[in-house]
Amino acid sequence: MYRPTLRSTLLSLSLLIAACRDSNVDAYRVPKEKDVALRDTVATATSTPATGPAGAPVAAPGAGMAGTPVATASGPGLSWTAPAAWQSKPLGAMRKGSYNITGEAGASADLSITAFPGAVGGEFANVNRWRGQLGLAPIAEADLTSAVTHLSQNGLTLTFVDLAGTEAANPQRMLGAMVPYDGAMWFFKLSGPDALVVATRPAFLEFLKTVKAPAPANP
Amino acid sequence: MKTILRDIRDFCVSLKLTVALLVLGMLLVFAATLDQTNLGIWGIQQKWFRSFVVFQDVRGVGLPIYPGGYLIGGLLLINLVAAHIDRFKFNWRKAGIFLTHAGLILLLVGELLSGLWQEDFNMRLSNGDTKNYAESYRFNELAITDTTDPSFDDVVTIPETLLARHESVQHPKLPFRVVIKAYYPNSLLQMRAADGPPSLATAGLGLGIVAAPQPVTYKQDESNTPTAYVEFTAPDASPGTFLVSTGLVEPQRFNYAGRSWKITLRAKRIYRPFSLTLLKFNHDSYAGTDIPKNFSSRIRITTPDGRDDREVLIYMNNPLRYAGLTFYQAGFENNDRTTILQVVRNPSWVLPYVACSLMALGLLGQFGIHLVGFVQKRRAKSFVAAVA
Repeated sequence: MYRPTLRSTLLSLSLLIAACRDSNVDAYRVPKEKDVALRDTVATATSTPATGPAGAPVAAPGAGMAGTPVATASGPGLSWTAPAAWQSKPLGAMRKGSYNITGEAGASADLSITAFPGAVGGEFANVNRWRGQLGLAPIAEADLTSAVTHLSQNGLTLTFVDLAGTEAANPQRMLGAMVPYDGAMWFFKLSGPDALVVATRPAFLEFLKTVKAPAPANP
Repeated sequence: MKTILRDIRDFCVSLKLTVALLVLGMLLVFAATLDQTNLGIWGIQQKWFRSFVVFQDVRGVGLPIYPGGYLIGGLLLINLVAAHIDRFKFNWRKAGIFLTHAGLILLLVGELLSGLWQEDFNMRLSNGDTKNYAESYRFNELAITDTTDPSFDDVVTIPETLLARHESVQHPKLPFRVVIKAYYPNSLLQMRAADGPPSLATAGLGLGIVAAPQPVTYKQDESNTPTAYVEFTAPDASPGTFLVSTGLVEPQRFNYAGRSWKITLRAKRIYRPFSLTLLKFNHDSYAGTDIPKNFSSRIRITTPDGRDDREVLIYMNNPLRYAGLTFYQAGFENNDRTTILQVVRNPSWVLPYVACSLMALGLLGQFGIHLVGFVQKRRAKSFVAAVA
C-alpha cells in the first residue's frame, strides 16, 4: 500500500536534484583578457581591421586556419630531423610539422606531421582512413597485419604503410606512419604524385629513423 | 490510514531492510568496479553512485537495472534515523552509540551533499601568470564574447548540455539567435579535402576543417573533443554557421551589427573576485637523485579592492583554502614552468571530518563506559571474594 507513495516521493526528489544541476545560460562582464598565445612557428595575426559589408560578418584577422592552433598532443612531443632538401612549410591548423618535397617537372609532395590525443581509432581505422583518402576500398581487420610494417627504433614502434592510388591519369601515392606516444597518436604522412613519392621512399624511411622521444626529464 | 502509516514505519525501521541495503550496497560497489573498465572512474560515479536508479543502455533504450547509490544511501539514512526515533531510548550509558550513529548519519548526508555540490576545476598558471578564473575538468561551454569595448568583454556562456540537446538560445545580450545544427560529444578534427562533402559551416574555420564524429571515450588517459556546428541567425544578415570545438584553441572572430564578437567552445569557467599570480613553481628532488621531494607553488592572492594582497605557498598536502575554494598542488608541465592547481568547491567539505570525529569520540566513549563498568564490576567481585 505504501509503495506508490514512497516511489513517487523518490522520483520527485530525483527530479528536483536533477533540476539543480547547472544548465543555465550565463552572462557576465570580465576585464579584457589576452587570447591564447600562438606558437612561435604559427603565423601570427595581423593588426589590419576586417572589412566587409555593413552588418555582415567577416573573417577577422588571424581567423585563417594557418593561424589557429589546435589542441593536439601536449608536452614536449617527438622530434625528428628532416633532410635539408625538404622545405619546411608554415604549420597548418593541426600540424606539428609540415614539409614540401619537390621533384622533377614541378611535382611536389606534402609531408604532414600531426598528433591527436588518444588512440584516434587505432591502427586499423587509420589505415582504412588513409586508404579512403586515396580512393581505395577498406581492408578487413584480419588483413591489417599483412598491410602494415612495424618499424622499431629509438624505443618507438611505428606502423608504416605504403598505399598506391588507383587513379590512372594522375597516380597518387601515400607513405604513412603512426606511433602512439605519451597518450597521443602521432601521424607522419607523405602524399603526392606516385613517381615522386616512390623516389622519396628511401629518404622517408631514413627520416622515420630520426623520430625520437625527448630525453627523459627529471620526474 | 493507520495501517498504511504503520506499514511505512515498519518498513523504515526494519532491520531486514538494513541488511538488504548493506548487501545491495556491496553488490553496487562490486558491479561499479567491474563497469569501471567501460566508463572510467568519473563515469561510474555518475552512473552507479550519484543516481537513484542505474540505467543500462540496451540497443539504444535505457533500462533500469539496479538501485543507484543515492537510493541505497538515502534509504539507509532513512532507515538509520527512523530506527533511532522508533527504538532508541536515550540514556548516558548508550551515549557513545548515539554519537557514533550521529557521525554515520552525518557521513551519509555529507556524501550526498558532496555529490550534489562539489565541483572540481583546475587552474594552469605559468610563472608570472595572473588568473581570476578556474576551468572545469569535465564540463564545457560555448562562450560568445562581445569584444567591442577596449576595457572589458561581455560574455554569454551556453553550457554544453544545451548544445547536446540542440536547444536554441535567444539571449537579451545577443543580437542574434544561437541555433545548434549539429553536436558531437567526441570528434576528430581533420583538414577538409577540397573535393570533400560540403561542410555544415558557412563561415570561420569550419570551411577548412571537418569534424568526424567519434565514439565517446571514458578512458583515464584519453579525452573527448566535443564539436558543434552553431548557426547565428538574425532577421537581417546572418553571421553564418561556425564549427566550434574544444580542439580549436584559438577563438574565431566575426563582426556583426557594428560589434566585434569572438566564439569558442572551451572548458567551463568560474570567475572569482580575486586573482592568483604564480610567482614561482618549485620542483625539488632529493640531493643527488631525480627522486621528487616536493612540488610547490608560491602564489600571490590579490583582490581588486586591495583588502587582500599576500603570498602563500601551496605544496603537496598543504592546500590553500580561500573564499570557499580549496587549491591543491596537482601537477606541473611545460618543463617546470607551469603549475597545475586542482580547485575544489565543496561547501560540505568539513562534514566528513566532523562525522569521523563524532564516530571516533562515540566509539571511544562507548568502549570507555564499558571498560569502566567492567573494571568496577571486577573490583566489586574481588572485594566480595576477599570479604567472604
